[in-house]
Amino acid sequence: MSVVELVKKVLFMEVLQGLALTFRHMVSPSVTRQYPLEKREPFPGSRGLHALVRDAETGKERCVGCGLCAAMCPSQCIHIYTSEGDDHKKIVDRYEIEVLRCVYCALCVEACPYAALTLTDHFEYCGYTRDEFYYTKERLLENWDKYMAGEKGMNYIKNFWRPRSSDFAAPSPERKGP
Amino acid sequence: MITLTINDKEVSLDRPMSVLEAARQAGIKIPTLCYHEALKPYGGCRLCVVEVERMPKLQTACTLTAADGMVVRTESEMIAKVRRGILEFLLINHPLDCPYCDKAGECELQDLVNKYGATAGRYREEKRKVPESHKDHILTRNMERCIVCTRCVRMCNDVQGASAIAMMGRGGHTRMEPFSSASFNCEYCGNCLSVCPVGAILSRLYIHSFRPWQVDTEVETVCSYCGVGCSMVVQVRDDLIKRVVPRMGLGLNRGLLCSRGRFGYEYIHSQDRLKTPLVRRNGKLEQATWSEALRHVAERLTGIKKADGGSAIAGIASARCTNEENYVFQKFMRMACGSNNIDSLSRAGFAAAQKYLEELLGQGITANMIEGLKNSEVILVAGGDPGTVNPVLGLAIREAFRRGAKVAVVGHARGLERFTSIRLTPPLFREEEFLEELLAGVSRVRGLRGEKLDVDRGIRAISDAYPGISGLEGFDELKHALLDSPSTSIVLGSGLVQHSRGHRAIFAVAGLTYLLEARLYLLAERPNEQGLIDMGCVPEMLPGGRPLNNHDYTRKFEEAWGGPIPEEDGMTLMEIMEGAKEGRVRALYIMGDNPLVNLPGGPLIEEALKALDFLVVQDMFLTETGRMADVVLPAVGWSEKSGTYTNIERRIQLLRKAVGNSSGMEDWKIINDVSGMMGYPMAYEDAESIMDEIARVSPLYRDLTYREIGKGNSLWPYHGEPLRGEIHELPAAVNGTGSYTANFYLAPEKVLFHSGTTSRHSQALMRICPEPVLRIGPAAADTLGVREGDRVKVSTSSGSGEFPLSIDRTISDNRVLLSNNFEGSGVLRLMSYRLDPVTRAPGIEGCEATITRL
Repeated sequence: MSVVELVKKVLFMEVLQGLALTFRHMVSPSVTRQYPLEKREPFPGSRGLHALVRDAETGKERCVGCGLCAAMCPSQCIHIYTSEGDDHKKIVDRYEIEVLRCVYCALCVEACPYAALTLTDHFEYCGYTRDEFYYTKERLLENWDKYMAGEKGMNYIKNFWRPRSSDFAAPSPERKGP
Repeated sequence: MITLTINDKEVSLDRPMSVLEAARQAGIKIPTLCYHEALKPYGGCRLCVVEVERMPKLQTACTLTAADGMVVRTESEMIAKVRRGILEFLLINHPLDCPYCDKAGECELQDLVNKYGATAGRYREEKRKVPESHKDHILTRNMERCIVCTRCVRMCNDVQGASAIAMMGRGGHTRMEPFSSASFNCEYCGNCLSVCPVGAILSRLYIHSFRPWQVDTEVETVCSYCGVGCSMVVQVRDDLIKRVVPRMGLGLNRGLLCSRGRFGYEYIHSQDRLKTPLVRRNGKLEQATWSEALRHVAERLTGIKKADGGSAIAGIASARCTNEENYVFQKFMRMACGSNNIDSLSRAGFAAAQKYLEELLGQGITANMIEGLKNSEVILVAGGDPGTVNPVLGLAIREAFRRGAKVAVVGHARGLERFTSIRLTPPLFREEEFLEELLAGVSRVRGLRGEKLDVDRGIRAISDAYPGISGLEGFDELKHALLDSPSTSIVLGSGLVQHSRGHRAIFAVAGLTYLLEARLYLLAERPNEQGLIDMGCVPEMLPGGRPLNNHDYTRKFEEAWGGPIPEEDGMTLMEIMEGAKEGRVRALYIMGDNPLVNLPGGPLIEEALKALDFLVVQDMFLTETGRMADVVLPAVGWSEKSGTYTNIERRIQLLRKAVGNSSGMEDWKIINDVSGMMGYPMAYEDAESIMDEIARVSPLYRDLTYREIGKGNSLWPYHGEPLRGEIHELPAAVNGTGSYTANFYLAPEKVLFHSGTTSRHSQALMRICPEPVLRIGPAAADTLGVREGDRVKVSTSSGSGEFPLSIDRTISDNRVLLSNNFEGSGVLRLMSYRLDPVTRAPGIEGCEATITRL
């Protein structure tokens, strides 16, 4: 043991260093948010509850039921059933997401060729039963109205979830289904 | 031996082929769009271009024949550039509606663009706009998506032979169109659908209802509609059959299907299926539980057996059921009920002919590969239309015709109308005389073979009785063609068998087969007509075709089955019906058939069924016969059970379960349970355990396992011991004929789109062909003063019915054809019958009819 070490030991230098840190933090401002009382604005593009985009013109879902989101989904929580409608158009009978199984990877949104599906910035949802987290087409559309309606949603899509297909030839509009 | 180098890999070929085929054989993939293995090379899409050393330009691999020493490169910078360019051209007009199009996921164009690029188009003008056509009941045409590869047209013309569609228009406006421009109005084989590389032709049965990758299970199985036994793949999502698709190169049909097979699967999910057993209480059929119903059946059958002996019970097996089910059924009848009265509706056609032919020429005479038809030089078709009864067998005949074979048709065969070299129209209902005349003519030149003395004797008697020459047009041509032909096939349909002198026609056909060493094919309307006989569902034979009156054979079965087999002779089908009417048969057990519609002599059958003390019907639907039953038991259908079918070439094929059960039970299981309650337990676990027993007891199926059958090559005679013709019954020397001078004679016509109970519950087939149609010749139409589409009333001695009328140019005599296979308005009900003394088949010739316009 050298002389320096001996002096440090006698004077409790390590203990003092530790105490200095403690006292420094006692006077610095706090970073903890008192969450339920004190809420934070989500960052743009954050991934929260799912929503089906409601088309402003038709008032219906944009989704044509191509099933690419369900095909991409790693947790396989999207179920889509389509059928032939009255005028031979494809209609989406059921579009369902088991939200509790979702891992929020947003691959579904990336896969969507028509920007018909988004993750909203709404992240606070809770319920007493599992059924409450089984989102049907109607509930998913409601989510859009609730959290993404108007300019906000469109900007959201434009800035973060722009479909890759729009980089290439645009699909002809009347073939897009309902 | 040709050796060439493809991508630095040496490839040796055993026969001449194109560079494309050589590459595929070596496992090198060359992209294609217009090429299809079932079609001739076309060289239209230019995607298969390859570089060949010492050839200045790129060559299309599909049309370039591989030569010795060729050095081929299939992928290079230049090739990729060309392919990218071609795809960019295709995308000028092809809409990018992949998310919407049902083909996406199995679209060849999509896959190629994904691989070779053209990520953005440089063409800025508008795309071609053609509205989607929904005018057809079955197929949707979207000509925006068409890339003009012409696969559909080539399939329709060169393979199917229907020639219903063509490419219309020029340049960028080229499109495929059916000739009637609205609906296809064709044979609806759907083979155009299966070759279309893009989503230009789609089936309306499942349009927009799923995407190819959403299929949960794919099951390779066998079609349940006719005796050909085409292999097919059933695709299932959520326990519902989504579609039936062929797989190229799979099975004896090599990826071709007919309308029934491809579009007739909907009956499985029909709402009309029986859901619970029904038991008659106070004169009404009421729902009952399974245990109630089965106990009731067992008690009543036991009671009748005790009171009147086993011979008061009879059973009708079904060619719609599997081998296993028919085996269990005949074992139940023989051992639990103690009766040999077991037959099937096949007696009115296939079984009658098959049994008589085997008696004459030995077991396995009809075990010929359908592929063999394609290699025949002369094909004689008599008594039926292969194009409608067994459509895929009909395709083999069409192919032979295109290759240059002579196809001779006796009588009327609409499916071969444009594929007939020699058309023979012997006088109505006297076809057997014509065939005997032909046999006499052939035997005069060829002489007798001296191999089967009894058959020789019969042929000699015929050639003594006939001059062997006939004034009939085409007779001499056919005779000489047959005598000169190195390979001959004869196709016999049930039309000649359902004749009170049918055995004479069968003998004549057998004689021709024997003298010319021809291949013989028997048309079979139902999937398992052959298996039915092989399983012993005939009164006089045990499984494996062993005769009942031979103790050497019966002893073995008695040991295996643990009891004595009844010795009393059984009754054949029509005898059972007559016995029921007279009270000799008190109980009838019908498995999967509808004799009230499918047998002639409607009033008699109805009387017979009414006279029964106890009638049990097992079926998927409540049929007319079921409505008269005391107990109706719901059975399961085709894709809901596993088992085996034996097709007309006697290939045993595996039927695999694809979807879960509805409320019904497998036929074998129902019988298994009833038998247990009657004191003869069978205790089978599944269909495979039954096949294990069959392989143990039947000398014909020795060591046969599902594993082996599953490979699809279980061909006659398996590993078994066939019998070589042991019994001979020569035709009675009846030379008499009837005289047919009435104005109209009614005859049944098989419809391509229907085959009875099941097809009637398939909506697609009902959309194509909703009701029976009466066909008459143009001359007859003139005398009656009727036009196409008029409704007429047809009356016979057995009843009458009203039908729409259609004029058929191919009918030249005074016969009128009425579609059969429709429940409720079956043609056979209107016909009386006379039994053939030898084959015991009901003869329905000479049914006089009067037609009045409504």
